Amino acid sequence: MKINLKVNGILEEVEVDASAVLLDVLRDKLHLTGTKEGCREGECGACTVLIDGQPVDSCLYSAAAAANAEIETVEGISANGLSAIQKAMVEEGGIQCGFCTPGIVMTLTALLRQNADPTPQDVAVALNGNICRCTGYSRIVSATLKAAKNAMAQKAGDAHA
Amino acid sequence: MSPTRPLILLPPSGKRQVTVMDFIYAQKLEEALDALRSQAGRAKVLAGGTDLMIQIARGEKQPQALIFIGQLKDDLATISLSQDGYLNIGALVTHRQICADRHIQANYPALATASASVGGWQTQSVGTLAGNICNASPAADTIPPLLVHEAVVTVQSAARGLRDVLLEHFITGRRQIAIENDEMVVGITLAPPPADTADAYLKVGRRKAMEVAIAGLAMRLTMAGPETVGELRVATCATGPVSRRASEVEALFSGQKLTNELVTQGASLLGRMIQPIDDTRASAEYRKLVIPKLFRGAVLECLAKLGIAISGLEKS
Repeated sequence: MKINLKVNGILEEVEVDASAVLLDVLRDKLHLTGTKEGCREGECGACTVLIDGQPVDSCLYSAAAAANAEIETVEGISANGLSAIQKAMVEEGGIQCGFCTPGIVMTLTALLRQNADPTPQDVAVALNGNICRCTGYSRIVSATLKAAKNAMAQKAGDAHA
Repeated sequence: MSPTRPLILLPPSGKRQVTVMDFIYAQKLEEALDALRSQAGRAKVLAGGTDLMIQIARGEKQPQALIFIGQLKDDLATISLSQDGYLNIGALVTHRQICADRHIQANYPALATASASVGGWQTQSVGTLAGNICNASPAADTIPPLLVHEAVVTVQSAARGLRDVLLEHFITGRRQIAIENDEMVVGITLAPPPADTADAYLKVGRRKAMEVAIAGLAMRLTMAGPETVGELRVATCATGPVSRRASEVEALFSGQKLTNELVTQGASLLGRMIQPIDDTRASAEYRKLVIPKLFRGAVLECLAKLGIAISGLEKS
């Protein structure tokens, strides 16, 4: 079947099987390989993308069901250079092997849009579907708080300018 | 000459060639019901798909068609309160919506707690309460809280219209529900809880987040006096093929003075009643030991929520 997927603001027509999951279409048809395949059963969060602003495991979301929705991948949020959360992840050392990073970045992008000033607990709860076996999470949490702080400082600066 | 590097053998890809014949976008509820009727058992209703897509990928389910109801949000993604206080949760309401709903947090907090523990944020974004029920996993978190609130499931078909079923009768076995091929769940209704009532959902997993329950327990406690129980309801999950209320345990408490001895007696009876299995998550023996602890914990949590302190009734 042919479907239209709106990925990172661009409408793409793709031929998919009715049982295809979004992850495979993103990686194999649209060559957006920033989204990673980890467990392929909704446990690890490496394949997290945003659908209408909400984090979703693309490994178990129907591609056909995602037609007509706004899909965002890690390529989209870094189209104009690293985003605030990505910069903070680099600066704080929130990345080791890096495999979980795109998924974590997407979840944290959704969190920071919904909650501009999260507590460490908010970050921990938000990340409950993203597994990182390297970092122990603490630097990911500090990166998130830093990105939030930077964004709030910038907003305050813009207001005064 | 450098030694030949060993070949790195990649495991076979998890991708399976599965072909679903049709993907039907229902634009109206009637279209979904008509499609269900004409497919006569060959179709599955798809909402968030967090259970169904993986079952299809594993070959556990092989529908000929998927009927996607995600575009029926106006009809089915709403939580509404009737004038007489009954709460209706539409079939597309996600766990995320349940957790965030003020009325649910205030009146059925056990359900909010359970929905907050279904998978991670990614699952809660799209996974629905109705889907959790229809999947009828023995470990489904939301089923025990819905059972203690005597939830009613509303199903609809093109041929016969609406039908209400008590959740207790809707779930008939492990992953089995009482639904005809041409029917789909359209909503779940909860009655307003009586005065002096509190509820709790407690769960044991190996980690705090993203864990399928090793064992879970929901309780609803209604007090009739300062220390007298009006009604106690309790249901467990991951303790047998089907989540059920423990009516023998409930009967012990009805109209009785709540004492440490009675709680110990109830906890112990519940531990003996459940019929868990050994599986990858825990042994049956462990489950039989942990359920009485959850029972006591739930009594204490309900009393704390009601602001009642009963001397001699403490954590064991």
